[in-house]
Amino acid sequence: MDLKTISRYSVQLCACLLLSPGALSQSSDGADIPYSTTGADMCLACHQSNQVVLAIFKTKHAVPSDPRSPFGDGQLQCEACHGPGGLHIAQGGNEVLITGFGADSVAPVKAQNIMCLECHTADIGFAWHGGPHDDNEVSCAGCHQIHTGNDAVLNTSTQAEKCYDCHAFRKSDSLKAYSHPLREGKMACTDCHSPHGATTELQLVRQSLNDTCFQCHAEKRGPFLWEHAPVAEDCSNCHNPHGSNHPGMLAKRAPLLCQSCHSQSGHPSIAYDADGVATGMPSQYLLGQSCLNCHSQVHGSNHPSGSRLMR
Amino acid sequence: MFEARLTRYRSIAMLAIASSALIAPVAETAPPDTSNWKCNLCPFETGSQGNITAGGTYVSDDAAKFGDASGYDEKGGYANVDGEGKYASEGFRLNWYAEDLGLDSRVFEIDGGRQGKYGFYVGYRELPKRVFDTTSSVFGPSGNDSLVLPGSWVPAPLTSGMTALDSSLNSQNIESDRQTIEFGAKYLPSSRFDLFADFRRQQNDGVDIFGGSTFTQASQLLKPLDYQTDEVDAGVRYRTERGHLTLAYYGSFFENDATSLIWDNPFSFDPSTSLPGEDQGRHAPEPDNDFQQVTLSGSYRAATLNSVIAFSAAMGRGEQDDLLLPYTINPNIAAAALPRSMLDAEVDTMNLAFTVVSRPFLKARVKLAFRHDERDNKTSQLQWSRVITDTFPTIDNELNIPYSFERSRLNLSADYRLFDTVKLSAGYDRMEFDRNFQEVAEQTEDAGWGKIRWRPTSYLDITARGGASERDIDRYDEVFAAGLGQNPLLRKYNLAYRYREFGELTFSTSHPAQPVSFTFDVLYANDEYRRSQLGLTDSEELRFAADLSWSISERASVYLTGGIEEIDGEQLGSELFSTPDWQASHTDKFHNFGGGFRVAGIGDKVDLQLDYTRADGNTEINVASGPGGQSQFPDLESTLDSLRMKILYRWSDKLEAILQLRYESFSAEDWALQGVAADTIPTILTLGAQPYDYEVWVVGIGFRYLIGSSTAR
Repeated sequence: MDLKTISRYSVQLCACLLLSPGALSQSSDGADIPYSTTGADMCLACHQSNQVVLAIFKTKHAVPSDPRSPFGDGQLQCEACHGPGGLHIAQGGNEVLITGFGADSVAPVKAQNIMCLECHTADIGFAWHGGPHDDNEVSCAGCHQIHTGNDAVLNTSTQAEKCYDCHAFRKSDSLKAYSHPLREGKMACTDCHSPHGATTELQLVRQSLNDTCFQCHAEKRGPFLWEHAPVAEDCSNCHNPHGSNHPGMLAKRAPLLCQSCHSQSGHPSIAYDADGVATGMPSQYLLGQSCLNCHSQVHGSNHPSGSRLMR
Repeated sequence: MFEARLTRYRSIAMLAIASSALIAPVAETAPPDTSNWKCNLCPFETGSQGNITAGGTYVSDDAAKFGDASGYDEKGGYANVDGEGKYASEGFRLNWYAEDLGLDSRVFEIDGGRQGKYGFYVGYRELPKRVFDTTSSVFGPSGNDSLVLPGSWVPAPLTSGMTALDSSLNSQNIESDRQTIEFGAKYLPSSRFDLFADFRRQQNDGVDIFGGSTFTQASQLLKPLDYQTDEVDAGVRYRTERGHLTLAYYGSFFENDATSLIWDNPFSFDPSTSLPGEDQGRHAPEPDNDFQQVTLSGSYRAATLNSVIAFSAAMGRGEQDDLLLPYTINPNIAAAALPRSMLDAEVDTMNLAFTVVSRPFLKARVKLAFRHDERDNKTSQLQWSRVITDTFPTIDNELNIPYSFERSRLNLSADYRLFDTVKLSAGYDRMEFDRNFQEVAEQTEDAGWGKIRWRPTSYLDITARGGASERDIDRYDEVFAAGLGQNPLLRKYNLAYRYREFGELTFSTSHPAQPVSFTFDVLYANDEYRRSQLGLTDSEELRFAADLSWSISERASVYLTGGIEEIDGEQLGSELFSTPDWQASHTDKFHNFGGGFRVAGIGDKVDLQLDYTRADGNTEINVASGPGGQSQFPDLESTLDSLRMKILYRWSDKLEAILQLRYESFSAEDWALQGVAADTIPTILTLGAQPYDYEVWVVGIGFRYLIGSSTAR
């Protein structure tokens, strides 16, 4: 069965699901825990000196005029996120009887995230389910600080450090001799990736890897008169976008990178060895920009005589 | 006490798991009557507050690489201003953010709006790209599209004969600056709808290295950059409690102010290799182009099998219709007429995707994801003549090749929670790839993987994942390859048969009662191109990373971090256009180590932080040809040492002083650049770029003043 057949069946499956009644989020399972009687005023009776708690009022979650906000008119205020607090209050502030967030919370990650996704469904939760962060049970609060006016992960200059907490290999990549300017805080992981999930490969922000790269490198988009096939297909055929030991974040040093695919008789197929390197006079194909000394238009040429990507 | 706490956690965790019903709110309870929830104690923010930091920085040395992105590329003093602030009043908010206003890496952003009704933002940022400050060129600009030699220039067949070279070289940095202006708005006419529109303009000006070649020689040139890219995102979103639909438009419009780049040939006319008139070359800079795309995406939460569906369908078109240059600038060649004056290139794209995630019962989850991507290059195929490097006209015409492809991916996976502490996952992925005009038309890849996640306690997490994939092809068209002049035994690595094995282990511990956390990752991947007689035959990657942090107290913490990486590649070649007669190995190694500490509130006055990073890159290349021939290149090396220290002193409630000290050194060994002066290579006139080697101290002092005040309602 090929993928086209599979896709046809899959569409039929989706249609069945779409036409089915009921709502996933409307389960009434669970204990009957009461809410507080007066909302946030009861919470603050105990927590009003806690600066971390009070920091919520510096955020978009605490805007009374926004009916969607937890503190909007008629909303559940603190209990919109932390769940019903009646037992928590009745038992003298027992912390395990209220939904906490973050690594120290006893609430399972799913339970934490459900609270967020109840509201952030359309924008953030669009493709959360089944995305890699969902697969790996990453909590929203694992990345986001909610009780602060400055959530570090929302700032370009500090975001990457937060992502590196889990993505240690990417941190190493950012330290390589050639990398995008994440170490300097001038680029964010979210410039390319959608951490909340996406239907794109690698959770990229555009529909393809190349489209994502073209956001900043549109000059390489073409279409050119003379295309270079691997370029038109996938920039990562030659580049490691997270960092490399080699200029241009290339996956390998030229000419060996080029010789992985070019075997034509003559200079492409010659074994360029280290003879002369010690005396500073090796083959000219090794020095400077190697193959690019002449074939400078490796991303494509629009010159009528540019079929060899030299014009 | 500890046991009691654990038992309590466990029982609460189980209660929460059970009550969560996976995608249901915890303990769904009838909503209360909130009409009396006045929130009298809530200190909602009104008024304005913020901070501005102004100061000066001294940089000890010139260093292009150090200034790349940071803006500190030149020795000397820099005045700088940072800041941020906000204003809030009855639902209206205005935030502003400023960073490095005194540098070429400045950022300024404003966003605001009435939450729930409308929002807007305006942003400006600059990003300096500093590539080389060791370069010199004999060419000078003439207008926007010509590089000319000085009047005193003495051309010669080889660089060694260019007697006016030394006197003609002028220092020219390879650098550019990207300026980005962006603004956007969103409007929410109702709780169901929102409209959004964003515009971004990037202007990239500067110079880059460009290789301008003649038939037997080449010159590294300073190519002027004058790029402008406009991007538009706009759309409408409709949402319900069950899901949403978004209809969006994306447009990207690239303009290159340069339409031609002509350069004087610094080499002299050689009757044996060139024709009269080979005294100039002309390059076609990247053409103006645009890409527009419409996307419909959405998600839906269905009750059947506890499912969530997300889908996306995008149709796009890219176009390029720049006027074409003539075949050659050489007036002595009677080149043929172009088949058309502009290419009228057109590429259509289609991207379809959907994901279904279902939880048929509490312990299980299944996922199906399908994605289909198409690039359909509709550009006409025409017969083109060719003039080789503005030197020789060719006899045979050739067709331009508009590459197209279709790629489909299917991912099936399932999770099963075997115990409370163990989750098993397994998946199957299939990819089908159809291309045209390439050696391989149909390619498939099948992958299977499994994963186990063991969380024996809430503070220990061990995950192991492994699998294998096989990429296969219908056939490698050697006749087609021969038409491109390729050795029929070559298998291009992105088209070749490949068998891949991979595995990853992650260990993480972070005890809530103990202030130490430790994570460790190891990754292994091996690619075997078992049917490739020439080209890449094997690639292996091994990575480790570890991180240890210790929160000594609420105010003090230390950390250590490090990583080791090795990527090996083996490839075969043939000088004799036959079976393999040379072999090359290429090994990239990378080690990094770092550590630091934070201490806050020393005497309630001082915060101190220090970070140290060391990163060593090393590349070993060995090319073996002939009987027993081994040729080991000197290692390509790079070493980064970076130390940053920051001391903050709270002078008063309104004023803070910040002292920053930064040391960074970077050194590289690179035989491709080291000692390669403008005339080192007889047939290539270079710019003389040298490997990076710098040691920079940065000292800065600033004063942060807290402005405004917020008042509670």
